[in-house]
Formats: sequence, structure tokens, C-alpha cells
Amino acid sequence: MPRLADVTLGRTTTPPAAIEAVDLVKRFGSTVALHGVSFTVPAGSVFGVIGPNGAGKTTIMRSLLDLIRLTSGRATLLGTDSRKAGPAVRRRIGFLPGELTLEGRITGRRLLNYYANISGPVATGRIDDLADRFDLDLDRTVRTLSKGNKQKLGIVQAFMHEPDLLLLDEPTSGLDPLMQQEFLRLVREARDAGQTIFLSSHVISEVQQAADEVAILRDGRIITIAGVDALRDTAIRHLRLHATGIGVAELTNRLTRVDGLGQLTCLPTGLGAEATATLSGAIGPFVQAIAPLQLTDLVVDEPDLEESVLTLYRSPDTIEVEDENSDARTVAS
Amino acid sequence: MTDPTTIPPAPAPAPVPAETDVRRTPLPIFTKALTDSWRSVLWWSIGLAAAVCLYLPLFPSLGGSDQMQRLIDSLPAELTRTLNYDQLGTAPGYTQSTIFGLIGYLLLSMAAIGWGASAIGGDEESGQLELTLAHGVTRVQVAVQRFLALVVKVLILVLVTFVLILLWNAPAGLNLNGSYLLGTSLLLGGLGLVSGSAALFCGALTGRRIWGIGGGAAVAVLGYVFNALGNQTPDLRWLHSLSPYYAAFGHSPLQNGADAWTLVLFYLAALVLCAATAFTLRQRDVGV
Repeated sequence: MPRLADVTLGRTTTPPAAIEAVDLVKRFGSTVALHGVSFTVPAGSVFGVIGPNGAGKTTIMRSLLDLIRLTSGRATLLGTDSRKAGPAVRRRIGFLPGELTLEGRITGRRLLNYYANISGPVATGRIDDLADRFDLDLDRTVRTLSKGNKQKLGIVQAFMHEPDLLLLDEPTSGLDPLMQQEFLRLVREARDAGQTIFLSSHVISEVQQAADEVAILRDGRIITIAGVDALRDTAIRHLRLHATGIGVAELTNRLTRVDGLGQLTCLPTGLGAEATATLSGAIGPFVQAIAPLQLTDLVVDEPDLEESVLTLYRSPDTIEVEDENSDARTVAS
Repeated sequence: MTDPTTIPPAPAPAPVPAETDVRRTPLPIFTKALTDSWRSVLWWSIGLAAAVCLYLPLFPSLGGSDQMQRLIDSLPAELTRTLNYDQLGTAPGYTQSTIFGLIGYLLLSMAAIGWGASAIGGDEESGQLELTLAHGVTRVQVAVQRFLALVVKVLILVLVTFVLILLWNAPAGLNLNGSYLLGTSLLLGGLGLVSGSAALFCGALTGRRIWGIGGGAAVAVLGYVFNALGNQTPDLRWLHSLSPYYAAFGHSPLQNGADAWTLVLFYLAALVLCAATAFTLRQRDVGV
């Protein structure tokens, strides 16, 4: 099925935006839930919003869907103003709420049939395919399902009509790791099919794996929007090395000159010295610094996005490096 | 004759998909609201049937007997007026006092208020309304279709009541006028529907089931209380004008026939409450 976005906008020069949010402000009484949030989600991409609970992720989703009305600002979904987006537009959207509540007294299949009735057309066999992928029994009463299985129903509900745009609020909550991987595969497939995915999470790893771009939200403000690669560059790597024929003092001296190296701990060992440290920024200078050493062991961890983002949560302007507890933060590889 | 090297003209821009999506069920919200509550419709029907089948067969020995009439005459007048037992001696009076005026009114109001409060307020409170509204439906559709389901459910209960009374009409020696009975049954339905719609409206206004129940119960209970107080003394008779209960039953419709305009007014009031519900729901932030 050709997607509208491909057909009508494929010939224009700039890729169309699936979501364009401009200066979203939402007040609930005296509390301000969103302080002017702006972002653009290009069609066919995966856009992640991460932030702690209460940062405003759910409020963004709800205001995009016109479930709640913005105090000011505007949003466009699939080319239509969110306030004017009627059933025709919402049929091209799949939504998974953050706090999913489903009717308990009927079977999963009947529940999905109901939602299929009020959303875009669902291809025959699609529901069963998705249920099989997630190992979900559709003939059980919803009430008897575990939280994870209810979440699977919610995911199937959001994906079954192959919508152009998916709004997924904390999609993997309650899923076991195997099912989280299956979900991420589903997200990638959807993107490859040209669908756009807007997902929120407080678990950074899932955004890291799924998203092309990430917005970090705190207290109703977007602190930064970056590609996952760019975020990775600012991320902190944990490293550990062991070298022979070198003393602690010399190793310390050599490593402290490397830019971005922190929390350095050097300990003597039988044949030489062992160092643990964190590294942010480019890895090249570090590699050059250790090149002359007689290394017997070197471990450089995958950059931990969570750690770098957490520093952003703590302080939007400065990234602090904690020097105390450096032993405790030595990472097991 | 086309030049083979000519690039074919670009196809016309694809039209925005019209509302042509295949739907398996017409009125999906209505159908769902109705099928979801078949159990409660059944239980309330059984309750009403039990009430009818317990009271009406007793008419020959209770309402129709002189002894009973003497007993009632010996009761305080205030009590008999409150319970509408002052006409217990006649078949229409007996049926009105026991079924329409008391137990039937109670059961039907409870059912309608429960349904009305759950339909939007309860659905929003549980978090399910949010997901429904994120689909291809409008808020007005949701409000109107759930109101229609409420109407149908109330009318089913009214039909059960009407048919069962009709069945007992001869065996219990009531000899009620069939069309008067129909009119009175519809008045009962109108009363229940007004309370239920008030519950629907209050639920949609607040997003809470309990406020829906409060709003609906206020209409039902105050209607009953104002009628009872108005029956007591001429000084309080003005309270009758505030009582839907009095508007429906104050002129003994089972004895004299139901007033068509009163009937229309009741169902019109329910429609107005439905419109208010739809309007309220359209304005609000849902699920906060």
C-alpha cells in the first residue's frame, strides 16, 4: 500500500515532517507541564523522547492526539493541525498509552476487534501474526493476562493497522528482555516500511537501540535534541587496562594527560600496573597514549548513554564529574 | 504516438484518503457499549421481573381486600402519602404504588444511573476512554453512541416490566388498560433515562464515575423526596413542580392515561442532557 507521505511529498525537495511541534505550552492550573517544547519528527524516522517520570512525555503525546488542549503553541500531525485532526487522521495513527488500561472481561481477540473497528483497516491475519511474534494468547480473557501480556495487547493494538505514525508511550514497560528485542525489531520494520515512530521512555537503552534522534526532556523542557550518534560521542565510556613493565606513577602520569579521561585509579599488580578510568569524547588520543605500553588486557565499554543523559538530568548546563566513589564506579566488563 | 524517451507525466497527487475505510460494525461504539453490558441488563431484568412477580399476584389478597384497606386507613396519613399507598385499593393504584412508584422506580433508576455514570466518567477514570478517543472516532460520536446504548438498555428494562405486568394482568385480576400501562411504562423509562442521562452528563463533566452517580442519584432521589413532601401539605405542594417523579406519576397515568406531552418532554430532556454531554466532552482535557 503506498503511503500518503511517499506519494504526495516524495517529489518535494524537503522531506515531510510527520510531527511538527512548535512551542507547546500546557498548564494545569498553576503547574506548568510543558514550557514551550518544539521538535520536528521527519517522516520515516524513529524519534525518542527520554526523561524522568513527570518530565512531560505523556503530556506531549496526549496533546498531539488532542486528548488535552494546549495552552499555547501548535502541533501538526501528518500535515494536519492537531486541533483539527479528525477521525481520518487518527485512523493513520497508532497509539499506546503509558498507563495502559484495557477492558478485562473479554478476550484479547474481541478487544482487538473492537479497536480494529474504530481504527484504520486491519489486514486479515495481521493480528494473529503480531500475536504469534509476541507469543500472546488472544483467546484468554484480558483480566487473566499478566502485565507484560497486556502490554503486548497494547502493542498489537497500536501496530495492527500499519499506521503512518505511531505514538508509543513507554512501550516496553512490563516486557521481558526477549520481548523488548522483538518490539525493537518491530519498530525497525515499521521504520523500514516508511512508518514514523515517536516513542518515549525513561529507559535509555531502548531509545538508544531504536531511535534515530533523541530529545531529552526535563521539567517540561527539551534540554537537547541529538542524533543517537552525537549523543554517543558525548557519552562516557568505562575502560580498564593492564600493562606490564610499568609502575603506577608512570602509568598515572601517561594517562592523566589524555583529554576527557576522568576518575583515574591506578593500582600496582605483580608484573606492572592496572588502571581504570572513564573517557568522554574522542577515543583517538587515548589509543595513542597507550600505544607504547605492553598491554596484557584492555577493556573499553560500549558508551553508556544512560550515564551521560543522567548528568544532563542533574544539570542542564554543566556536566559534572564525580571524583569521589571512583572505586565504586569501576565498571565490570 | 508517444516518444519512448518522454518521461511520462507525473501522476496526479494522490487524493487524501476519504472516509472509505472498511468497517465491520456500523456504530462500533454503540454496539460495544450494548454488548458489554448484556450481563447487567440481564440481572436488572431478573430483578424487575422478580419484583413484578412478587407483588402483582398478591393484589387480590392485599390491595383488593377490605381488611388491607382498613389497615392502610389506620396508618398515619403522612406515611401512606409518602409511599403512595393511599390508592392501594384499586388495581391501577396498587400497581402504581408498588411497581412504578417504588420498586420499579428504584431498580430502573439504579440501573440507568450506574450505566450512565460508567459510560464516560467511569471509562475515563479507568483510563480506557483515552485509548478509544485516540482512534478514528470523535468525542461527539462516543457521547452520542453511548447515550443511545443507554436508551436501548433502559427501554429493554421497561419492555420487560411492561410485558410481565401485561402477563399478570388477567391472572392477578388487575384488568389494567393496556395502552395506559404502555404509557406509564414509557414514563418510567423516561424518568430512568433522565436520571441516567444526568449521570452520563456529570460523569462527562468530571471524568469521575462517582460524580456521575452523585448527579444521577440527586435527580432520582430529590425527585422522589420533593414528590413525597409535596404530597404532605398544601404549603409544600410547590415542590411538585421541581419533581420529575411527580411530573410522571402525579396524575395517576395508570388510571387516567399518560400525557403525551409529558412523555415527549422526558425524552426531550434526556436528549438535551445527551447534547450537553457531547458538548462538555468536546471541550475538556481527557484523562488528566
